[in-house]
Amino acid sequence: MDRLSYVGKSMRRRDGPDKVTGRAAYSQDVKLPGTLVGRILRSPHPHARIVRIDTSRASQLPGVKAVITVDDTKGIKHGFVETPRYPPDQEVLARERVRFVGEEIAAVAAVDQVTAQRAIDLIEVEYEILPAVFDPFEAMKPGAPEVHPVLPKIRSETPLPNIAGRTATGWGDVEAGFAQSDYVREDRFESHLRTHGYLEPQVTLAHWEHDKLNVWTSSMGTFIKRAKLAKVLDLPFAAVRIHKTYVGGTFGGKIDLYSHEYCAARLSMITARPVRIVATREEIFSAYRHGQPLVMEIKTGVRKDGTIVCQQVRAINNAGAFRGSGVVVIFLAWGFTMLPYRIPNLAYEGLSVYTNYPVRAPQRGHGCPQIRFAIESQLDRIAEDLGIDPVTIRLRNARKPWEALPNGDNVHEAGLLECIELAARKSDFLAKHGRARQAKSTIRRGIGMGVSSYFGGSLIYPNGSGVIVKMADDGSATVLTGAIDVGQGAETVIAQIVAEELYLPIEDVRIVSSDTDTTPQDIGAWISGMTYVTGNAARQAASNARDKLLQLAAEKLGCAIDELEVRDKVVRRRGEPGKQITYREIIAHSVATRRGDTVIGEGFWRTMRDEPTHPSLATTKGRWSENYAFSCQVAEVEVDTETGEARVLKAWTVHDCGFAVNPALVKGQVDGQVSMALGHAFLEELITKDGYTLNPTWLDYRMPTIHEMAHSQDDEIVTEEYTVGKSFRVKEVGEGLVSGVLAAIANAVYDATGVRMHSTPFTPEKILKGLRQLERKERLGRAAVDIQEEADEQATALPG
Amino acid sequence: MDNALRIKGTRSQVVEICVNDEWHEVSVRPRHMLVEVLREMIGLTGTKDGCEQGACGACTVLIEGAPALSCMTLAVDCEGKHVRTVEGLAPDGRVSPIQQAFLDQGAVQCGFCTPGMLMSITSLLERNPRPTVPEIKKALDGNLCRCTGYNAIVDAVLQASGQGVEPLMK
Repeated sequence: MDRLSYVGKSMRRRDGPDKVTGRAAYSQDVKLPGTLVGRILRSPHPHARIVRIDTSRASQLPGVKAVITVDDTKGIKHGFVETPRYPPDQEVLARERVRFVGEEIAAVAAVDQVTAQRAIDLIEVEYEILPAVFDPFEAMKPGAPEVHPVLPKIRSETPLPNIAGRTATGWGDVEAGFAQSDYVREDRFESHLRTHGYLEPQVTLAHWEHDKLNVWTSSMGTFIKRAKLAKVLDLPFAAVRIHKTYVGGTFGGKIDLYSHEYCAARLSMITARPVRIVATREEIFSAYRHGQPLVMEIKTGVRKDGTIVCQQVRAINNAGAFRGSGVVVIFLAWGFTMLPYRIPNLAYEGLSVYTNYPVRAPQRGHGCPQIRFAIESQLDRIAEDLGIDPVTIRLRNARKPWEALPNGDNVHEAGLLECIELAARKSDFLAKHGRARQAKSTIRRGIGMGVSSYFGGSLIYPNGSGVIVKMADDGSATVLTGAIDVGQGAETVIAQIVAEELYLPIEDVRIVSSDTDTTPQDIGAWISGMTYVTGNAARQAASNARDKLLQLAAEKLGCAIDELEVRDKVVRRRGEPGKQITYREIIAHSVATRRGDTVIGEGFWRTMRDEPTHPSLATTKGRWSENYAFSCQVAEVEVDTETGEARVLKAWTVHDCGFAVNPALVKGQVDGQVSMALGHAFLEELITKDGYTLNPTWLDYRMPTIHEMAHSQDDEIVTEEYTVGKSFRVKEVGEGLVSGVLAAIANAVYDATGVRMHSTPFTPEKILKGLRQLERKERLGRAAVDIQEEADEQATALPG
Repeated sequence: MDNALRIKGTRSQVVEICVNDEWHEVSVRPRHMLVEVLREMIGLTGTKDGCEQGACGACTVLIEGAPALSCMTLAVDCEGKHVRTVEGLAPDGRVSPIQQAFLDQGAVQCGFCTPGMLMSITSLLERNPRPTVPEIKKALDGNLCRCTGYNAIVDAVLQASGQGVEPLMK
């Protein structure tokens, strides 16, 4: 019974047949009779006072069923973070002031699209334009336009204006550390504004019926969505049901509450008809939440052999007009600094700054690609200055198994050293590195390396996952799980685990998922812990049902449980042919003799079970996670020194994710993240001017097409194992692996050209500029050059 | 019907379109796109509506056998034409070789680009039963995928066209 049949195998997706035949129903595919069309009026200004709103002409238009403004709401605020330090700061519709282009002001429900848009056009709003601020450094200057007043607690920590949040932490003695260091480097890096690029637009269908709100919306976790939606509507959870839909990509962009979700719900409550709101792609590009631009100032002291002695890191986040996830990314940037390498002395400060931009959301990696790009770029530079190769300096600083982390967590069986060694070997790194600049050709190849680590699950609402496995009387099983499959394969992985634990053919496992009324609460697909947390809950539920079945079988067969073996829904007494009973017979026996017990298994799981809550976002105190994944990635690039164009030829990913429940799904995650890193490195950029998005279409916001994708190879360092009936430990695999590739590309571009990128994206313009500077400097005997953003060179020092 | 514009007296016109070998008679206005007709009027929601900007390829269908963006195709221009959608690839419930290859190679994640991808590939394989990798990439460069990184999709086309790629998943 111990050989695994499903876990560890590349099983096909459970939702695959629905998805390749067009049967899969996404939120935009759900139809209800009598549905009204909702539209939203958005601010045309980055910062303005609303002097007057007049909806009377819109309301009188034939076919218009309802118009709402902030006066029709309960005035309840929401936020990505809702803590005493960071209370919610955003209303669902603007009150008295708009703070970014695209901010929601009013919404209408009408009988058709054209009427709804006509009604929006008839809403009169009088604005008084206010001065706006877009750059976080400008926003922190005294006298800058105030987006929000700074809360008293934060004002006691910093005198700067427009501070949405601050994280400050550290250990050791940084000043002493720098004094003891043989070599100190200080660099500034910047990561630009990008967006998630989920293919399925944001869509919400809401139907208020019999005092119950039924919602179909594209999300990353129906339970957190329910909590947030119920709160702003001032409804009990019992009155809100989020139904399961297929979800067409998220990448962080569908976790928060969005105003259109509130508006669809409220308009349905007013009209007593279903209301659908579909965000146009232009709206998504120009008014919805994007990822996190970060400026990172890093000072590192090392010994001659490259051992890190101390690090001083400051991360500044352009948060946009509300707090969003800005106060989380400045916490996480510390975490992703701290994880892979030993840093005996650290001083860290993260500042999240309000500006008149749309709000920010997590985006795949949430700070990790940004900070690893910065640290890994600087580390390569330090290695070069000290005459050490990139592999050796990483091996020298990488965390070893069972090291305690400064926050009290432990890295457990961390496979980082093996990741670095294998990645170097597989890519033939040292034979290739440092060769390009001797070449005479205008096409140069370079190779670079990047390391990262990522947490797997933390304690944020809903904190835990429950799973129910109920046996049908034919011996098959139905799994009730709140897990949401956003494309990562959650349903497949859960089915594999349940089939394994119940010794069932996987075809006999049915999944009912993510519906808030019929499935147990679940942590959701946004905290990088679903396979660990929900997976263990599923394992426990299935083994709970299995134990009941075996107990009953042992009774019927007159033997002990450990004398039983199971194959294909038949329980046999080992060594006694003919002594057997089918699952069907066991369940009938249970119903007959156990007062109708149909055999139901239940399981639940919570990471860090003795920990009360998540770590402090202000001080980083408290445990963060109990599973950390580690990885080393290598990229080989080709740069045309005449045009400045660069492309990735091949990416190697070697990572410790514990073990792969489904290796092909893991490979899918790796390839997707390599593709996303290519976009970050070379292609994608939301271009804005005065708060307006200038490229709100995929024709101008260049996401990687099939031509840009590189060859991607992945290897897993297996540090954990799966045993039937025992809890298991798997580590993160779905978002951290953007990071090492991005860093590796930056280092590879440098290896190819001698041009050090200090800001993403690595455009032909920047590479050419660097090459020209290099030509001038080479005449002076220098072999490397640093390329900062134009704006950076003029940026004034941060006050205070 | 546009309630707000009714007074202007714009009229719709009847168009006959053959979708997956079934003729449909629909009443459309000049501004209606084929994607709306398929999804909203005929009820075939397998064709996805990703951007309405002709940029993502999720709405790709075949018109007279050639790939077309249904979000950029006026419904009135489809009078008398044969349209194929993802629902037409497995008419008897048995998936086609390319659909099976998508399942076998992990070429599906969120699945939102999948119907459009499948239609572009179906057209390619009908014209060119053993396409090279550059030919596959050329045929799919109008279809964005954010999840898979495309390599599994290329492998699926190679598997379906019998070019020596074995299933990755079972």
